[in-house]
Amino acid sequence: MGKIRTVVKREYLTRVRTKGFIISTLAMPIVIGILTVAPALLMTLKSEKPKKIFIIDQTDRIFSGLKAALKDTTKGGISLYKLSKVETSPEELPEVRKELTEKVDEGEIDGYLVIPKDIFERNQAQFYARNVSNFRVNENLEGAVSKAVSLFRLSNSGLDPERVRKLVKGVNLRTFKVTGRGKEEEDTGATFMITYILVFFLYISLIIYGIMVMRGVIEEKSSRMVEVIVSAVKPFHLMAGKVLGVGGVGLTQFLIWSLMVGGLSLYGRSLVSSLAGEIGPLSLPGIPISLLFFFILYFLLGYFLYATLYAGVGAMVSSDEDAQHLQMPLVALLIIPFMLMFYVIGNPNSGLAVLFSLIPFFAPIIMFTRIVVQTPPLWQILLSLVLLGSSIGAMVWVVSKIYRVGILMYGKRPSLPELVKWFRYG
Amino acid sequence: MELLTLRGVTKSFGSLDAVKELDLSVGEGCIYGLLGPNGAGKTTTIRMILDILAPDQGEITILGQANSSSVRDRVGYLPEERGLYRKMKVEPLLWFLAELKGIKKKTAKERTDYWLERFDLSDWRQKKVEELSRGMQQKLQFIATLLHSPKLIILDEPFTGLDPVNTNLVKEVMLEEKRKGASVILSTHLMEQAEKLCDQICLINEGEKVLDGSLKEIKANYGKNTVVIEYEGKANFLDDKKIVENYDDYGRYVEIHPSAGANPQMILKRAAQEVTILKFELVEPSLNEIFIQTVKKEGKWGR
Repeated sequence: MGKIRTVVKREYLTRVRTKGFIISTLAMPIVIGILTVAPALLMTLKSEKPKKIFIIDQTDRIFSGLKAALKDTTKGGISLYKLSKVETSPEELPEVRKELTEKVDEGEIDGYLVIPKDIFERNQAQFYARNVSNFRVNENLEGAVSKAVSLFRLSNSGLDPERVRKLVKGVNLRTFKVTGRGKEEEDTGATFMITYILVFFLYISLIIYGIMVMRGVIEEKSSRMVEVIVSAVKPFHLMAGKVLGVGGVGLTQFLIWSLMVGGLSLYGRSLVSSLAGEIGPLSLPGIPISLLFFFILYFLLGYFLYATLYAGVGAMVSSDEDAQHLQMPLVALLIIPFMLMFYVIGNPNSGLAVLFSLIPFFAPIIMFTRIVVQTPPLWQILLSLVLLGSSIGAMVWVVSKIYRVGILMYGKRPSLPELVKWFRYG
Repeated sequence: MELLTLRGVTKSFGSLDAVKELDLSVGEGCIYGLLGPNGAGKTTTIRMILDILAPDQGEITILGQANSSSVRDRVGYLPEERGLYRKMKVEPLLWFLAELKGIKKKTAKERTDYWLERFDLSDWRQKKVEELSRGMQQKLQFIATLLHSPKLIILDEPFTGLDPVNTNLVKEVMLEEKRKGASVILSTHLMEQAEKLCDQICLINEGEKVLDGSLKEIKANYGKNTVVIEYEGKANFLDDKKIVENYDDYGRYVEIHPSAGANPQMILKRAAQEVTILKFELVEPSLNEIFIQTVKKEGKWGR
């Protein structure tokens, strides 16, 4: 056991002391912070320059309503759209359109909108612009034209538009998450966000640390260090020490991140809200301790399962290039549950979700997703843990035999029959 | 006391018999040559001694005890395939390897200091392994083999890739350890080196022992029946099977084993007719020749 400790210590210290570890540990929260806050910040930065749009209103009745409806402004209160009406007769339309198209082409105007005479019957208008991928502009225009058209229709039928607006006013749906112990908490999509972030994190961590183990094994093989070590330590102890050491690196990173997030939510709220300014109160969703517990639990179990498999892959190959191919099945095993996550968030108790959350290879991600969304029955959690635990045992047994032979084999990667042979020798 | 005994050790990989019924025993304070061509089973044998491979049959005893993890802590091993963690610094690497062999940190530090000094690597202790030259890395690995003061030192082809200065240094240290009572198992296919260093040898070929014992006795058994000629000219007589059983020709220097029924005088006579003789001598056969003869007698050479 003392020797495992020596191996664990080396695996842990050599990784934790690298610049790469320190930088990635410090940079990761910043990157994630930027990725989550940036879109919100960007949304508040409306386009600097007002969009110049020409309107050909063949009905001659929409333009004023349209102008009134298109009130979107930038931060500074400048109107986002500069609309100009183009007077034309139906006969001149092709000529005018040609002119306008040229103007768009030259960048003189951003686009032009054609409101045909039959818009009240056919409900269609055309927008021509160089960039029609700005969904915000498209949506605004569509909304404004629709509004102007329906306003016109309403007043045409002798109804008071203001009255109608009041009568058909929509209703907001507020959502409350009912958790155990009869509590109700208002939830404005935070559950989905937390689930997504945590599961994504879990998925990425399993891959990153799995690959770290694999590369460690390959490094020992390719540097020919391995034979010296297995002359002092049992191959199984070397493998176990490596898996434990790298796992420790992962836990250390999580610990540092939790402390950073904890610190941020304690002292950073004012900072964030001052930065975010007009976005309004940006609530940092709190993560319950029980979730953290399950996160660590499923990370560790998933990690032991996948790290063992990755160690096996490392033992089978002699170079990183060979490993690329051989690790594909493992990546696939991790991607499948990640893809299923969205389905599981929607249907956490469906038969499929339950089934996948019990299959050991998928359990870390799927069962954890289910736990975050809606706590599943205890027996299902326990069953998944038992299945996961026993598959880890089985995998360790199989892989350690292959590992024992594989680490001393160089050259081309083994075929399946060769693997079976290795397993028998091991 | 025997430091190492193997009894009936057998290992096969599928249909390939790597080592067959191997017996050997290594006493204290000797240099033991484990000799044979490439693929003879030397490395497999060593790996079984170190429990990297498990023998199919047979028994291995180290320092009089059954093979166990704690007794293997007294064994030092320099594998043929050499290498170290490239990204680690010299000192922590040596400490790590010593700790793996059950050495306390304090002792490990003292010995690291001693050996780095001895091998002239003191200035490099804070450098990463990859910054060292190839020769320095070889020395470092040799230090790693000796750091825990092993009683039994197993060196697999230790001289490959060493320059003459370092070869000498390694030889010196081997003899020093021998004088201290440790034994060195020297596995090599280079007979010249083995011949000069070994007290005892074991020749193996295709997994089987073909000859073992004290080198002196083995040579004496063969007697001074080998002819060495230094010559100039074209030595056609070498291919006359009537007088020459086999030979090892270097162009100007040849070692000849006479045929049964022939004698050195007959060879001298024929040689004098064909070439200019610079030197003629009767010697004990070289280890190389013994090896070739023994293996040829068995009718199988290499694979």
